[in-house]
Amino acid sequence: MSLLEVEDVHAYYGESHVLEGVTLDVERGEVVALVGRNGVGKTTTLRSILQLTPPREGDVRYDGESLVGHETHEVADRGVGWIPEDRRVFAHLTVAENIRLAVPADDDVEDALERAYEAFPDLSEIGGRDAGTLSGGQQQMLAIARGLVGNNDLLLVDEPSEGLAPLIVEDVTEALANLAEDTTMLVVEQNLPLALDIADRFYVLDHGTVVDEGSTEGVSTDDERFERLSA
Amino acid sequence: MSVAGTVVDVLVSGLAKASLYAMMALGLTLIFGLLGVLNFAHGSLTMLGAYAAGLLMVTFAGTGVSALVWFLVAGLTAGVLVGGLGAAMEVGLIRKLYDRPPIYQILLTFGITLVIDELARIVVLFYGMQPQTDWQAALGTKPAFIADTLTVFGGTINHLELFEILWGVLTVLAVWAFLNRTRYGLVVRAGSEDEDMAAALGIDVRRVFTVVFALGAGLAGFAGALLMWDPAWAASVPLASETLLPAFVVVIVGGLGSFRGTVVAAVIVGMVDALMTYFFDHAIITFSGLPELTVFLILVGVLVVRPQGIFGLAEVGGH
Repeated sequence: MSLLEVEDVHAYYGESHVLEGVTLDVERGEVVALVGRNGVGKTTTLRSILQLTPPREGDVRYDGESLVGHETHEVADRGVGWIPEDRRVFAHLTVAENIRLAVPADDDVEDALERAYEAFPDLSEIGGRDAGTLSGGQQQMLAIARGLVGNNDLLLVDEPSEGLAPLIVEDVTEALANLAEDTTMLVVEQNLPLALDIADRFYVLDHGTVVDEGSTEGVSTDDERFERLSA
Repeated sequence: MSVAGTVVDVLVSGLAKASLYAMMALGLTLIFGLLGVLNFAHGSLTMLGAYAAGLLMVTFAGTGVSALVWFLVAGLTAGVLVGGLGAAMEVGLIRKLYDRPPIYQILLTFGITLVIDELARIVVLFYGMQPQTDWQAALGTKPAFIADTLTVFGGTINHLELFEILWGVLTVLAVWAFLNRTRYGLVVRAGSEDEDMAAALGIDVRRVFTVVFALGAGLAGFAGALLMWDPAWAASVPLASETLLPAFVVVIVGGLGSFRGTVVAAVIVGMVDALMTYFFDHAIITFSGLPELTVFLILVGVLVVRPQGIFGLAEVGGH
């Protein structure tokens, strides 16, 4: 049984039909990339899994149990974490407070902070600063640190390299690769080299549906299956 | 009176008014900051708090236990009762309108205030608490020392003003500590910034909304208990609108949803009000509406120069 099963999911924004039957699965321990052009429904797929944009049709099963009809906080409580597009750090909370919020109620907060600072030493120096004052790269590190201390079994990662300088993208890639050692991940990414670098498998999304899939092993960015990404 | 006496007089009076304004406005700003709801029923909740505390004081004060102890019991009871009513309002009525434009919430809470005020009017008439504007019975439960005055540098300070400042400071500190020193306060601040992200971190944002609405309403109820003993306010049905207006002025001047802004604006408005009241009381200016006029001029000035308020963000609250 896969850890995550998305089956024929249809989702809408108002009357706009965004997901037109997305089907994909993620096995425990895998990193799966979801690639596609802008506006094809990648972020909506993640939002549907989290029940932020609940599917009108289809099912999302996590560890064999349907998530449809549950609240987002219940999905999170089951072990699904989210590193969203644009980081979405709490700008008026400090770095430390952002991390504290992500620590599950039963976990030791100080231990979690220590783990986060060990993984991202730069954050420990700016723990008292408001997250809104950080650079894009620092905010991305903070967003990943929140995912780290959340002790999630599955992380949904949305465009982790978006808007970052190439050097910072390298750091982010390394941080995600470290995280992937213990965590299953579904990563939405437009940066194809990065997606192929960290993922075991990929899905190509177009017009709200999966049009291609496969293993990333031995696959290069000029593979014909990715042609529609630049179309 | 000496200059020092005048300064003391205006300063203490201003701080007392600021304390009352802060207590009236803090609940309003908490609710707007997290839920994005402009609660027009806030004044009515304050009025209910004044009557609830007043009823308890009239019933139990003078039974041998210190009136101050009863004040604490009455104030906390008023806060809890009105807080419970606020929670019921949020769950039963307001929650259904979160996905609608703000005008729906404004109309709903305005409707709620009309219902509460009319019901209160019926009850107080039935039990003979009116027609007097001030509910003298509740005012009469004040312990003697609160009615005393003391003289400092020639200025006159009412003990009641010191009592109001004490509770204003304690309330501001308590709310600040809740928001900044507790896990739940952290959750509230996160939920007010990004509801979706907070939910994705496992926070039941809807439950937080209910708790914050209850807390905001409870603060209004407790403020009502404090106003009950102040002859300038007292327990009366019109207290609903009389407190709603300054509360709105304070939260708009401070910046909607900003705790710091609300406290600073309460001090500014309280001080200006006290100064203008002094001018009028000493016949320096003989226009009786001077304090109110000046307070609203502050509101107009801030709206023109800095529409988001002193510490306001361009956008805050909402869903």
